[in-house]
Amino acid sequence: MLEPLLTAADYLGQGINIAYLLLGVAVGLVFGSIPGLGGATAIALLLPLTFGMEPEQAIILMGGIMGAVSIGGSISAILLNTPGTAPNAATCIDGYPLTRQGKAGIAIGAAATASSVGGVISLVILVLVLPVAKAIVLWFGPPAFFMLAVLGLTSLTVASSNLLRGLIAACLGLFFGFIGYDDIGGTERYTIGIEFLWDGMSIVPLLIGLFAIAEMMNLYRTGGPISKHEHDETLRVVGTLDGIKSVFANVRTLISGSAIGTMIGMVPGVGGTVASFLAYSFAAQTSRNNENFGAGDIRGVIAPEAANNAKDGGALIPTLAFGIPGSAEMAIFLGVLILHGIDPGPMLLIEREATIFMLILALLFATLVSGALILVLAKHLAKIAHVDSMLLIPCVITVSLVGAYALHNSFGDVVVAAFFGALGYIMIRADYPRITLVIAFVLSGLMERNFIQSMIMFEGDWLRFFSEKTSLVLFVLTVLALSIPVLNRFRARGATS
Amino acid sequence: MRRAKSGMRWFRLLAVMLVSTVACAPPDHADLENATISIVIPYRPGGGFDRAVRAFAPYFARQLGANVTVLPENVPGAGGRRGATKVYRAHPNGMTLGIFNLPGFVLPQVLGEKVDYDLRELSWIGRLESQYYVLLVSATSDLKSLQDVRAAEGISFVSTGYGSTALAASQIVAGGLGLTDKDPIFLAGYAGTADYLVGLIRGDGNVAVAPVSTALKYIESGDLLPLAIAGEVSELEGVPTFTDLGFPQLAPLDIQRSIAGPPGMDAELLHKLRAAFSRAIADPDFIEAARNARLDLKPLEGEAAAVEIAESYSYYEAFKTNLTNPNAM
Repeated sequence: MLEPLLTAADYLGQGINIAYLLLGVAVGLVFGSIPGLGGATAIALLLPLTFGMEPEQAIILMGGIMGAVSIGGSISAILLNTPGTAPNAATCIDGYPLTRQGKAGIAIGAAATASSVGGVISLVILVLVLPVAKAIVLWFGPPAFFMLAVLGLTSLTVASSNLLRGLIAACLGLFFGFIGYDDIGGTERYTIGIEFLWDGMSIVPLLIGLFAIAEMMNLYRTGGPISKHEHDETLRVVGTLDGIKSVFANVRTLISGSAIGTMIGMVPGVGGTVASFLAYSFAAQTSRNNENFGAGDIRGVIAPEAANNAKDGGALIPTLAFGIPGSAEMAIFLGVLILHGIDPGPMLLIEREATIFMLILALLFATLVSGALILVLAKHLAKIAHVDSMLLIPCVITVSLVGAYALHNSFGDVVVAAFFGALGYIMIRADYPRITLVIAFVLSGLMERNFIQSMIMFEGDWLRFFSEKTSLVLFVLTVLALSIPVLNRFRARGATS
Repeated sequence: MRRAKSGMRWFRLLAVMLVSTVACAPPDHADLENATISIVIPYRPGGGFDRAVRAFAPYFARQLGANVTVLPENVPGAGGRRGATKVYRAHPNGMTLGIFNLPGFVLPQVLGEKVDYDLRELSWIGRLESQYYVLLVSATSDLKSLQDVRAAEGISFVSTGYGSTALAASQIVAGGLGLTDKDPIFLAGYAGTADYLVGLIRGDGNVAVAPVSTALKYIESGDLLPLAIAGEVSELEGVPTFTDLGFPQLAPLDIQRSIAGPPGMDAELLHKLRAAFSRAIADPDFIEAARNARLDLKPLEGEAAAVEIAESYSYYEAFKTNLTNPNAM
């Protein structure tokens, strides 16, 4: 194992390759922080640039982008309550309240550090797991995928502060997720004759609407800057160092977030949004003194951000071993690999060990470099929270709508973003959880498709969900997720009496 | 006075709009000089069609002239129909071409669904790729031959969803092998070919039909066992063709990637595009690039590609009764 690792490190250390890596990081940070652009767009845009490169150089450039995107995305999540990429959505829950309390510096420091460390932990896990990667991917058939989605939805509902509102938001998310063509049953659902809706709605314009636009509408109502902290001295951005320290003071949250991220990343087709949300709800449910979650608990930033970068390491397993992309950016990355004559599949792990280590190292350095860059820039970035709303609102809305359009060059996506902007605003005013809607939306397709496939496999006998090992384990975890808050309540009651 | 000013403003606005409309009218490029041609890919970036166009575009541009640019344009949506319709409705001036999935785009028409295009009317420029389908089982399965599959009870095909070429190919194989009476299960709905082949390795189902190039890596890794392949001559060493095993009706089962322009293209322009296509596919640099991008080059020039399309309609028409949705709810 050492020899291919050294070959990879040696190659990566060459001047021109470092330049490619830094270019990737810069592009990744910018594309990650602008809602609607994201890693997939960045990779697609830089794809033609790689034609004249060595395959390994193309991998380094793409590794730079993938390692940096999610860190970039956390910045807008924390400062503007607008996730730069879908997996950053969970970071909003505690990151934004911290910004409003004048603690943006702490949140950014924690996010950058947790992302970097999470990325490193997952890559270590990846290297250890590579020899048995194939077996892990094979554990997840349709019944296990279905149970995983059930586990996701359950933790989501349990984590909602108001159960009824959480359930309503989840139902809305499922409803919007079911719009489009069902390719098993072969029917169109809720498309009201509009061709655009045939493929369902994309997650990106939905996020742009629910967060960026809705948030700006709300800011217009309240006026003034985002940070509502009244004391002038706290307007200076401080606390980045405290943010870094907070990550190491909460090692348990960091490790659990990274482990959940890596594991979910390994399951093809689930993606980072679920990973970061599961990490968040795990932290919110199992941490001591958890009453401040949702109102600006730093652990609520650490857990999803660690998971968010950790999932990239995990997602490489299905992408490289089976050519099954775990996310949109992995799908385009797969195209880059194939264009450069590297064909992902079971043989790749054996035949091109050095190439894989190159990618792992590129991701590792990209994570660390972008984390460091964000820490250096945190002071300046956090000033956005103090910009007056009358300047901020037009800028954010313009960038958001252009981002929605840029996704598929489609005006339909702009309409979707505007619709969800209005819905998001209503949800803010009526205090309904928007994140719950997002996660249910993401899980709807996974849950439905795998349920139908399982029922076809089982020939209608649903009891067989419990005779499949992986799905049984996930079912037990679901029951545990349901019982933890009940147990906690009992414990708390016991302690007070 | 104010009314006069306002009228003047409207007049100016109208004039500007009129001039811009004229300026934006599609140019009539019989000579293609300085043209920017887009090749519509009806899917998202990253897949096989995207890869084929991105590998081909620079070499096609090179053959069209020094100042010609060829740009890949992803127009995903409605299972590829949005992109196909865009090409079908485009001005036939050669500026908009597209890559088409065959029989993927033929099937909706054969099944009587409403589509806004007719492939038989397009101006076919040439075929880039063609791959035969291969029948596969898991290497650990008890099924070791085509005879085993025919004799077995509880056959379950894994594939992508309804309307996809893979499900249609599975249904045609089931029909051709006489399995229909045994009510085989069609476990459809996987996201892509690699997904359902991994499902086959895992044991979600027990047989699959897949394009040979995607299946090859799983065959080489020893995870999957090929039982029979379409085509007149076997492309896989030691694997019999369907014809060898007595099922010649399954020989034409393939997936093709061909390039076409909108209907009604001027003959001279079409001739130019076809000639450039023929030179590009013979360019050694392109052949090298195609090998790197793992394209399964089986080029066919314009006229022949058009004939192939017409024939594929009648082939799939013959299996129409097998092609209804097996999981309709």
